[in-house]
Amino acid sequence: MMSLPILRRCGSFAFAVVMLAGLHASGQAHPGYNTGSVLPVSRQWPTYLGDSSGKRFSALTQINRGNVGSLTLNWAFQTHSAPLKSTPLMVNGILYFTVPDHVWAIDALTGAKIWEFSRPMAGDHIGNRGVAYYNGRIYFGTVDAHVLCLDARTGKQIWDVTMGDVAFGYYISLAPQVVKNMIIVGTSGDSADVKHAISALDWRTGKVLWSTDTTPDSVTAPGADTWSNPKVMLRGGGSAWMTGTYDPDLNLIYWGTANPAPVIAGVTRKGDNLFTDTILAMNPDTGKVVWYYQTNPHDTRDWDSVQTPILFDAPFHGKMRKLLAQAAGNGYYFLLDRATGQHLLTTEFVKGSWAKGLNANGSPIPDPEKEPRQDGSLIDSASFGGTDWMPPSYDPQTRMIYVTGREGYSLWFMALDKNGQPVDHQGGGSQALVSNYFTIAIDYATGKVVWRRPGGEGFGYPGILTTAGQLLVTGDLDGNLLILDPATGKVLWHARPGGTMNSAPMTYEIQGRQYVLTTVDSVVYAWSLPQKQ
Amino acid sequence: MKHKVLVVGLLAPALALFLAATLRASQAPVAATASTRTLLSAQAETGQKIFVSNCAFCHGVSAKGSASGPSLIDSSLVRHDKSGDLIGNVLRNGRPDQGMPAFPNFDPQQVAAIAAFLHARIAITDSVETEGPRGGYQLQKLLTGSAQAGRQFFNGQGGCVKCHSPSGDLAGIAKKYRPNELEARFLYPPVHLATATVTLPSGKVFEGRLQHRDPFYVALIGRDGFYHSWLLPGPRVTVRDPLQAHMELLSRYTNKEVHDVFAYLETLR
Repeated sequence: MMSLPILRRCGSFAFAVVMLAGLHASGQAHPGYNTGSVLPVSRQWPTYLGDSSGKRFSALTQINRGNVGSLTLNWAFQTHSAPLKSTPLMVNGILYFTVPDHVWAIDALTGAKIWEFSRPMAGDHIGNRGVAYYNGRIYFGTVDAHVLCLDARTGKQIWDVTMGDVAFGYYISLAPQVVKNMIIVGTSGDSADVKHAISALDWRTGKVLWSTDTTPDSVTAPGADTWSNPKVMLRGGGSAWMTGTYDPDLNLIYWGTANPAPVIAGVTRKGDNLFTDTILAMNPDTGKVVWYYQTNPHDTRDWDSVQTPILFDAPFHGKMRKLLAQAAGNGYYFLLDRATGQHLLTTEFVKGSWAKGLNANGSPIPDPEKEPRQDGSLIDSASFGGTDWMPPSYDPQTRMIYVTGREGYSLWFMALDKNGQPVDHQGGGSQALVSNYFTIAIDYATGKVVWRRPGGEGFGYPGILTTAGQLLVTGDLDGNLLILDPATGKVLWHARPGGTMNSAPMTYEIQGRQYVLTTVDSVVYAWSLPQKQ
Repeated sequence: MKHKVLVVGLLAPALALFLAATLRASQAPVAATASTRTLLSAQAETGQKIFVSNCAFCHGVSAKGSASGPSLIDSSLVRHDKSGDLIGNVLRNGRPDQGMPAFPNFDPQQVAAIAAFLHARIAITDSVETEGPRGGYQLQKLLTGSAQAGRQFFNGQGGCVKCHSPSGDLAGIAKKYRPNELEARFLYPPVHLATATVTLPSGKVFEGRLQHRDPFYVALIGRDGFYHSWLLPGPRVTVRDPLQAHMELLSRYTNKEVHDVFAYLETLR
């Protein structure tokens, strides 16, 4: 059985030489793949994020800028399922991917099905991001908030643990994170205004090793003074519904949290509402929070901060830093020092005037004039926020962060009953008016938008992959799969797969051939260079 | 003058679409909205009556709790109850240690009715489709603007009158849409009205309703009623979208203007 390749600095990769040559290469056109503690993936794609850093950058170069024009369909796999939102893993020649209630293992070479696991249950079926692999086992979160452990060879269930009560709307949509010998998960669900936690399970038994609440559990706990109402605080939301990242050198995991509850009726929970919409840096051995940074204090629009906290090392103001970058749901780009949590930079990557400036920590201050109102408040932001869970990417060659962003207009209502209580669990809602999509390239060090490509209007979740072949793979809402030049956004290749890609692409190499995988609706498409006859 | 005729010509089919199209996608991607009433079955309505006269004093009329009793919406026992199997014991025996009296005289039908009411209340609270702005939202809550100021905006700086008429396309508009729908629709109607002119390299010109345009192809429904498409780059494409006026207004409306125009449109009954 193989250990999960959390790729650390080691000599077993051909590109390590390139990486070392690129160290401290501030300002060079091709600084190599040096990204700090975590090397990029290459032949395999062993975690939801590829490696543990969240870059979604692959060192593979067989498909590259020079030959991508001849990219062609190699095979397709029809799941006959709900739309795929997971990023497939590729471990030892087998692909693993999911929709709610289902896991598939298929042949990465041919697309042939090996096994399918099915467990239909009542619960929230909004989506599932995929599985984790460790030591021959597969870990899968369910619509009723269980974590299942399956045998990667057969799909047979080994154990089943419950992480939340489905009667209160708990579910698990994320792909679990593997750190050391632990399976780390967070819970989803805010239909009932509940608390949430990030928890570590023993990989072998499923025993809960630690569990850290994302909101204060008492009036004396840290952060409790940022809630005006303790009763609301104790059911204050802060779900953790996207996979975190991990720096093995610093021994820290980084997780983003989601909205406070009730999400729209902010008047019932005045204050910043820690630790909702916050990046948490935690010790994976204990679950202890080492530092935190709140990107979206007092959220009243469900603009979560669960987007991938991307880890890389690069210069900032002339000095190499261990960085963490997040393009957050509120439309702001944040750059932090990931060792200390020190704030370095905040910029806007999409337009919007819902905030009246930045506070001393660099987080936006909501403009009270723009807050949800009983009679509706019009703002110049897309209803679902500046971005969502569609995975971003960091390309160490261009040193840009790539994100699928949204601009538009929306109308926001707060709905209270005659006692001033929220009429439902949200206490209001929004009406989307216009949502325009863009693929956006952000200079990591200045936060400035370098280029952006319009991607159509509507709703969708195309994520992003970058590769050492100088490629950016994504999709748009006009029905296209796209490969762009990451330096300029110019289209190098496109195809119409018959739907919208609502996940992130990934890439791997098997038997000497590189494949780029995209999922569109219920179909997995594997693209490669033409095979020699 | 020619331009104006074109705009009016476009508005006839556009208006039909405007009136026929359904509500734009909103926060939760659910097509239909259920009213509070439809969630309350006859059994739950019976339960509501029993609840209001026996339980609401402590637990509140919506079961959300009060100063003297806890919320039952957040009760694990209630959420795990099936048709009164757990609630029944609590009702019959009370919870003397917590100050809840026993109700030994409720028969099984009454217990089941109370349970049905509580489960309906939980469904209502867990949904955003019932009592919030998408469901049973009341007109009075939205009607904070001045109809007179809205009329002035409509005829003046808003420029609405260039394309719309209160006695023409907008006659009776307030009767056709629920208040929250109307507010969203006048801001940005959920319709596609764009037209395009496609000029081929040969000089041949096609005009019609725009179906698709991205960097790779353009498609329209031509004057012959048939679909036509061309790969890009190649032909020259000119697009006209009457909704551009709505888009420009979105960028400069104040909330007061939004509510004033809404109040004015609500008078068009």
